[in-house]
Amino acid sequence: MAYWETVFYLVSMVIYAFAGVGFIYSFVFKNPRIITKVTLLVGFGFLAQTFSIYARFNATGHLPWSGHYEYALMGGWFIIAGTLFVGWQNKQLQGLAVGTVPLVLIMLGYGYMQNPSLTPMAASLKTVWLYIHVYFAWLSFGAYSLAMAAGVVFLLKKKSESLPVPNPAYERFPSLGRLDELIFRYVVFGFITDTIMISAGAIWAKDLWGSYWSWDPVETWSLISWLTYGITIHLRVTFGWRDKRLAWLAIGALSSVIICFFGVNLVVNTSLHMFQVR
Amino acid sequence: MLNKLIKYLSSLRFTIVLICLLGIIFALGLVIPQKSLVKDIYFEWQKSSPALVSFLDALQLTEIYSSWLSLSLWCLFFLNLALVIWQRMPLVRKRIEMPASRIVAPETATGYIFRKTYTLPDDIDGTAILALLGKRGYALLGDENGFFGVKNRYSPLAFAFFHLSFFLILLGGSISFYTTFIGYVDLANGETFMGELERYNRSPSPSLPKVGRIPQVAFTVTSITPQVVKNTPTGISVKLLDARGTTHDVGINTPYITDNTFFVFKHLGMAPLFVLKDLSGKDIEGAYFKLDVLQGRQDRFTLAGYSFTTRFYPDYVLEKGVATTRTQEFKNPTFFIVVEHNGEKIGEGTITNNGVLEFNGHRLELQEMPFWVRFYVIKERGVSILYTGFIIACCAVIWRLLFFRREIVGAVREENGVRHLVVAAKSEFYKNLAEDEFTKLFDDIVGHQTGLNSGDV
Repeated sequence: MAYWETVFYLVSMVIYAFAGVGFIYSFVFKNPRIITKVTLLVGFGFLAQTFSIYARFNATGHLPWSGHYEYALMGGWFIIAGTLFVGWQNKQLQGLAVGTVPLVLIMLGYGYMQNPSLTPMAASLKTVWLYIHVYFAWLSFGAYSLAMAAGVVFLLKKKSESLPVPNPAYERFPSLGRLDELIFRYVVFGFITDTIMISAGAIWAKDLWGSYWSWDPVETWSLISWLTYGITIHLRVTFGWRDKRLAWLAIGALSSVIICFFGVNLVVNTSLHMFQVR
Repeated sequence: MLNKLIKYLSSLRFTIVLICLLGIIFALGLVIPQKSLVKDIYFEWQKSSPALVSFLDALQLTEIYSSWLSLSLWCLFFLNLALVIWQRMPLVRKRIEMPASRIVAPETATGYIFRKTYTLPDDIDGTAILALLGKRGYALLGDENGFFGVKNRYSPLAFAFFHLSFFLILLGGSISFYTTFIGYVDLANGETFMGELERYNRSPSPSLPKVGRIPQVAFTVTSITPQVVKNTPTGISVKLLDARGTTHDVGINTPYITDNTFFVFKHLGMAPLFVLKDLSGKDIEGAYFKLDVLQGRQDRFTLAGYSFTTRFYPDYVLEKGVATTRTQEFKNPTFFIVVEHNGEKIGEGTITNNGVLEFNGHRLELQEMPFWVRFYVIKERGVSILYTGFIIACCAVIWRLLFFRREIVGAVREENGVRHLVVAAKSEFYKNLAEDEFTKLFDDIVGHQTGLNSGDV
């Protein structure tokens, strides 16, 4: 890691840690007023993370694209960007960070443990398909993470509303009906970008590996993940799954994406998606 | 009974069951080493647990993606898909039709979640409202006394396109499955390849197409230039001269494509010209050897009964008496060679380009140090059909899920000399979120006003 990259990386982690604690505090101690301030804190963390990416870009000459560390750095950036964007568009959604900030913090911590070195861009990554494939992968990861966060908030709010004295922290959030639709909307956005990601990946794979589909572990798992979200959409549209069931689906389905990004290469070392990045 | 079976086969419930089963199969394929994908691991596993492996072999679980179970599930999946499309098409057609019966009174229309009544400003009449709705993409039916409008009217067609794209992918995949030729060929700088089957590597052996012929190609490798920065391979340029005299630059991500065949760069090695001479300088034997020695690998060749074990250092340096390489860049390419005769070591030493290694009354000269490359050769047809399927799938999923239908019924009512616009609206996938959209739409059209529930007027 470059010097300034490490500094900003650690700064962003510390800020996210504080922000995560702030969000949890606001929910547990029923203090919704601090959510806006904590969201601002997330914004500072996001800036630090952006500087970290810039420092790495300066040192290597390319954006972080591959390997667990770079997935964490760039994928986390997309998740936080999505969180801030929806919070900026609709203040009621700022609290979604209660799901996404801890997730990104864990990702960054895990990425830091990979002891990432500065490497020039591998030859296999020098193609326009990289941008399409990887950007859409991160967009879908970001959207699915937001769906998960909306699912978490939905369940918490639902539980709170069943209490004799509901937690006022949840009053800031949209109604349960709107949250339910937001979950579906994020899943839909993620599914669209996921579809484009898989199609672009297949076309790229043909040029890079000679075969559009090789049943590579990461490929296979991305298909499983795509099918999982495809089923989720069908269950919602055709079978009318809503509310708690949809929220649990959004939370559970994210595990398939996390396995695809981080889990598969931990278990098997035969994936073509390793790209010789240390 | 048959009707029940068809009903179940065409149900979405069955689709979900099939997708779940396919998901389980895919996941199993990740856990169980697959014969065709991870051969080395599979054979190692077979040695350590022969009984278990033969049991799993018998169940085809070690070739799970092409097993009868997988193929049957895929067949059922596409049968189900075909039946679903067949059943849904009349519904889709019905939904995109715009009969006059769609015009209903907004106050009593059922299924509409957004209902509002707006007082119309003096400068806007019903015709202007219809024109403004039309400008916002609504297809309209009727007039100010009662109208029906739909945005993204043809969106349900995208359902059909999305699911039909699966059949294109299936068709393309099937054609490619039956026409695929796969082989590996190792070619050194200066070598000509005419597509002869016997020139392909024996291991792994070429896989011949079930339909069609092997690739018809002819070219010469004119140069191989690898690019490495420190320890990361950052590119390669392999120049090929075809029979027409055209030069093709093959790199990573840029295969040579001819006769539906992709020549994909897979591997790089050294192809040095070693010549064995006696001490008087008389040639005994010499040849180019394709040695797989990069990334610290060891390889071997023989000349005149001598066996030479080689290690290659692209950026050779002697550190504390130990031979090593500073980086993987080809700055000081050097071979370290151990010479053996009848299993006995008789000499060793380093040798650079145009250098000499002397041993046991012989001179081993390294006269040239070109590279060789391994191409993964794959010929298959149907790929363009498959890509078309991908493109249609992407477009259709965007069309269907982003440009979903919004329906409006409305009428201009007059009461006590005041004109009101009464509307009811609905959106296909969203109820609560659509309220914001319709509120904004009518605020834009009639000017911002609180709006009353239609029943209040």
